[in-house]
Amino acid sequence: MRNKGILLSLLVVVALMLTACPGQPTPTPAPPAPAQEATPTEAPAAEVAPAEATPTEAPAEEAAPAAEVSLTIWADDTRARVLEALGKKFEAEYGIPVVVTEKGFGNIRDDLKVAGPAGEGPDIIIGAHDWLGELVENGLLAEIELGAAADQFLPAAVQAFIYDGKLYGMPYATENVAFVYNPDIVEQVPATWSEVTELAAELEGAGVVKQAYIRQEGDPYHFFPIQTAFGGYVFGLTEQGYDPNDVGIDSPGSIAAAVWLDNMYKAGHLKAGSAVDYDIMHAAFENGDAAMIITGPWALPRIRESGVPYVVTTIPGETQAAQPFLGVQGFMINAFSKNLLLAQTFLQEFVATEEAMQEIFDADPRPSAFMPVREKITDPDIAAFAAAGENGLPMPAIPEMSVVWSAWGDAIVLISQQREAPDVAFKNAAEQIRAAIAGSR
Amino acid sequence: MSSVVVAKAGGAKAPPRRSISSPLALILRLVILALLDAGAIWLMYNLLRDGAYALAIVIGVVTLLLNAIYLRSELYPLQWIGPSLALLGVFVIYPIFSTIYTAFTNYGDGHLLTKQVAIRQLEREMYLPEGAPLFEWTAYVSPQGEYLLWLESPETGEKFIARPGKPVEPVEGEAPAEIDGFRQLSRAERLRHTQNLVALEFGQPPQVFRVSERQIGRAAEYEQRYTYDSSQDVLIDNATGKVYRPIRGTFTADDGSTLRPGFRVVIGLDNFQRLLTNPALRGPFVSVFIWTVIFAAASVFITFALGLFLAIMFDVPEMPMRKLLRSLLLIPYAIPAFISVPIWVGLLNPQYGVVSNMIAGVFGSAPPWFSDPFWAKIGILLIQLWLGFPYMFVISTGALQALPSDVYEAAEIDGASPIQAFWNITLPLLMITMGPLLVASFAFNFNNFVVIELFNKGGPPMSGTISPVGHTDILVTYTYRIAFASGRGADLGYAAAITVAIFLILVIITYFQFRYTHMLEERSENV
Repeated sequence: MRNKGILLSLLVVVALMLTACPGQPTPTPAPPAPAQEATPTEAPAAEVAPAEATPTEAPAEEAAPAAEVSLTIWADDTRARVLEALGKKFEAEYGIPVVVTEKGFGNIRDDLKVAGPAGEGPDIIIGAHDWLGELVENGLLAEIELGAAADQFLPAAVQAFIYDGKLYGMPYATENVAFVYNPDIVEQVPATWSEVTELAAELEGAGVVKQAYIRQEGDPYHFFPIQTAFGGYVFGLTEQGYDPNDVGIDSPGSIAAAVWLDNMYKAGHLKAGSAVDYDIMHAAFENGDAAMIITGPWALPRIRESGVPYVVTTIPGETQAAQPFLGVQGFMINAFSKNLLLAQTFLQEFVATEEAMQEIFDADPRPSAFMPVREKITDPDIAAFAAAGENGLPMPAIPEMSVVWSAWGDAIVLISQQREAPDVAFKNAAEQIRAAIAGSR
Repeated sequence: MSSVVVAKAGGAKAPPRRSISSPLALILRLVILALLDAGAIWLMYNLLRDGAYALAIVIGVVTLLLNAIYLRSELYPLQWIGPSLALLGVFVIYPIFSTIYTAFTNYGDGHLLTKQVAIRQLEREMYLPEGAPLFEWTAYVSPQGEYLLWLESPETGEKFIARPGKPVEPVEGEAPAEIDGFRQLSRAERLRHTQNLVALEFGQPPQVFRVSERQIGRAAEYEQRYTYDSSQDVLIDNATGKVYRPIRGTFTADDGSTLRPGFRVVIGLDNFQRLLTNPALRGPFVSVFIWTVIFAAASVFITFALGLFLAIMFDVPEMPMRKLLRSLLLIPYAIPAFISVPIWVGLLNPQYGVVSNMIAGVFGSAPPWFSDPFWAKIGILLIQLWLGFPYMFVISTGALQALPSDVYEAAEIDGASPIQAFWNITLPLLMITMGPLLVASFAFNFNNFVVIELFNKGGPPMSGTISPVGHTDILVTYTYRIAFASGRGADLGYAAAITVAIFLILVIITYFQFRYTHMLEERSENV
C-alpha cells in the first residue's frame, strides 16, 4: 500500500512535468520578411517616415518595451492572397507582421463566435454585411471608421454596414442580381414586368421559345426585385435601419407583385409545380429553352462557358424601378481584438486605397464598393451588374430576417404550385412573421 | 519460429499471473497513465481558463476513475471496458446533460457570452462628454519605457504635454524631437506602441486624456461609459446616470432600454413554457407528429419488407449469379445520402426529371412529387426505400443463416406450405434478432433530418398555418424551423428544450416498442 502512494505521487509529478512542457513555448510570430522582399518595399517606408515625424535616433535599435505586436486577419482564399501581399507592405512600413489565416467564407462567422470571446480570434475578418445582426447582437464587432477615404465608398454599401446607427464594416464589394436575356430571342428588352408577360405570350405563341421567362420556384431572394418594382417591401427602412415592426410582405405593392406572379402561372408562362431550381433554370437558359432570367454575377462563368448569347441589364420595373437586394462584403474588426487601433490603422491606411481595392477587385471581379475602382470596371457584364444594383437595398441584417425567409418563401411556393391565392398566401406569410417576431420577444 | 515456441513454452510453465506484478508491464502502464494524466491536466487547465468548468470537472472525474481502474487490483475486471466507459462518459453522457442544462438557459444569439465577459466588454466602451475637444497626439517614450503625449487641438490651437498621473501642462510651439529625455516616436514606430498607449490615462483628474481606439492619431478626455457595481449587481451609465439591472441575461434600465451584448443565464422553465404556449404547437403540431410516426414506421416497414424479400430470394442456392447480385444490391447503401438524395430530387423533377418523364411516357402524366402533399409523402418514402433496403437485406441475410433447418424439415413433414412456414417459423424466429434493430431503425428515422432536408426541406408548404410548416416536415425539421428561423436568430436554449421534449417522446415510444418486441421474443420461445 505504501508503494502505491509513492507511485501515485510519482505519477502526479511526471504528469505535471509533462504538462509544463507544452505550455511553455508560445508560437513565435513569423520572422521578418525575407531580405529579397524587404528591399523593394523599403523605399516607401523611408518616404513616409520623414513626412510627418521629425528624425529619430535609430528606430531599429529602440529599446522600448514594445510587446510582440502582430495583426491577424481571417479571410477566404481569394482575399487571403491579396491581403498577404498588403500585409507584407504593412510590415515593411511599420515592422508589424500581418498573419493572414485562410478560412472558408462561411466558417469565418461561426469560428469568430467561438474564438472571439475566448480571446483567440483575429483582429480583422472579412465577411458579408448580413452577418451584422448576429455578430453585433453577440457583441463581437467593434465600431469602425472609414478614415480619409470615407466619401469614396459607395453610399449604399456603407449603409449596409450600419447597424443600429453605428458603422461596423468597411465594404469592398457588392453583389446583386440583374436581368439576363438572350438577344437572339428577345429583340426589345421589356421595360416592365407587364411587358414581360406580353412578350412571353408573343414568343411562346409564335413558338420561338419554349418558355420566355423562367424563375427558381419559391426563391424569395430573386423575387424581391419584382416585389419592389410593384412597390412592395419586406421591412420598412428608417434612418436607424430596417424596422422589424413594419412587415411589408402584405403591403399593396407586395401583393400586386404576387398577383402578377400568379397570373404568369395561370397563363402558363410559368409552369405550376415544376420545381425549377437554380440548375434547371440555368440549364434552360443556356440551351435556349428560356430567354429571360434573373441571376447574379456568380453565374457569369457558366453562362459564358455555355456559349449562349446573353446581355446583362437592369431589372424591369413596373410602378417604380426594381430594387434588388444588395449583398455587401467588407472588413470587420473583432471587438475582442487586443489592438483595435492597429486594426483600424491597417484598414484606413492600407485597405481603403485605390491600389488595394483594385487588387481585391482583380482577384475576384465583382463590383467594387470603392467608387474609384467601381467606375473603372471595364468588363461590360460586371459593369451591368453594378448598374443593376445602383439603387439596390441592403439585404436586411436584423435577426428577425431569419423567420422572413421561410414564411415568405413558402408563400411564393404556394403561389407557384397554384395551391393558394396570391393575396391569401402573402397575407398569411406576413401574419406568420409577425407572430414569430412577437413570440421571440 | 523457434523463439515463439520457446516463449509459449515459458508462458505455459509460469503460473498465470496478473500483468500488474510484471515490472515491465507496470512501468509501461504507469507511463501511459502518466501521459494520459498529463493530457487531462493540460486540457483541464485550458478549459478552466476558458471558463468551461463543467467539462473540466467531467474530464477530471473520468481521468480519476481511469486511474483508479488501472491502479487498483480490485477493479481489475473493469480494465477491459475502461476506455469505452471513459469515452462514453465524455462523448455521450456529458453532452446529454449539457443539452439538458442548456435547455434551462437563454444561450443563443444575443446571449452568447458569460456575464463576466459581457461586463468586461461593456466597461471597455468609452464616450466623449459633450463639448470636449478632440486632440491630435504625438507620443514620446523614455528609455525606461514611460510615455508622454504632446497634444494639439486642431480647432483651438491649444497644446498640452500630458503624462500619466501628473497634471497636464499647457505648452507652446512645435512638437520637439525630445522632451526631458523622452524621444518622439515616428509614425512607423508608434503603431507598435498603441497597445501600451491605449491602456494608459494621461493627466490627473479632473483632466485625463485617453488615446482613441477608433480614430487614428486622436486623443481626448474620453470617459468610461459604463461602470459595473458588483455590490448592487447593476451597471451604471456614466453619461446619463441611468442604472441597468440584469434581467434574464440583458442589462435593462427602468425605462426598458437594453444594452448589448447580453449574457448567458439560467432562466428556469421559460424555454419549456415558451414551447408549450407556442401557437405553432397548437396548430400544425398534431399533423406533424402523426406524419412523423407514419414516416418512421412506414420507412422501417417497407425497407424491411423489401430487404427480407430479397434476402429470402437470394437465400435460394439455385439463384444464378447470387454473389454478384447480392453485392450490386448493396450499392444504394454505399452511396451517401448527401449524394443520392439530390440525384433523386433531379430524377423526380416533374418537368425535366428522367423518372418523371418515363412515368409520364407510360401513364400520360407524372405525379406532382414536389407540389402535392400526398405525392411528396410517397416520394420521400420511395427515397427512404432506396436508401434503406440494402441495410435490411444484409441484416436479414445474416439472420436467415442462423435459423435452424430442422424446424423447416419438421414443418415440411407436417405438410406446411412455404407460405405457412414463412409466417409461422421464419418471421417469428427472425424477429428475435431483427426486433431490436427495427426499433433502432424506427428511432433513427423518427429523427431523420437529413433526408427530409435534402429532399424538399419539408415542403410543400401547408397553407394558412400559424407558423411556416410543410406537409413532409417531421418533428425534427419542424422544430429546427421554429428554433433557428425564430425572430432572434439561433436560439440554442430553446432548441435544447425542444430536443429534450423530442427525446422524451422517443423514450416513451421506444419503451412500448421494446415491450412489444419482448412479447415477440417470448412467443418465439414457444415455437
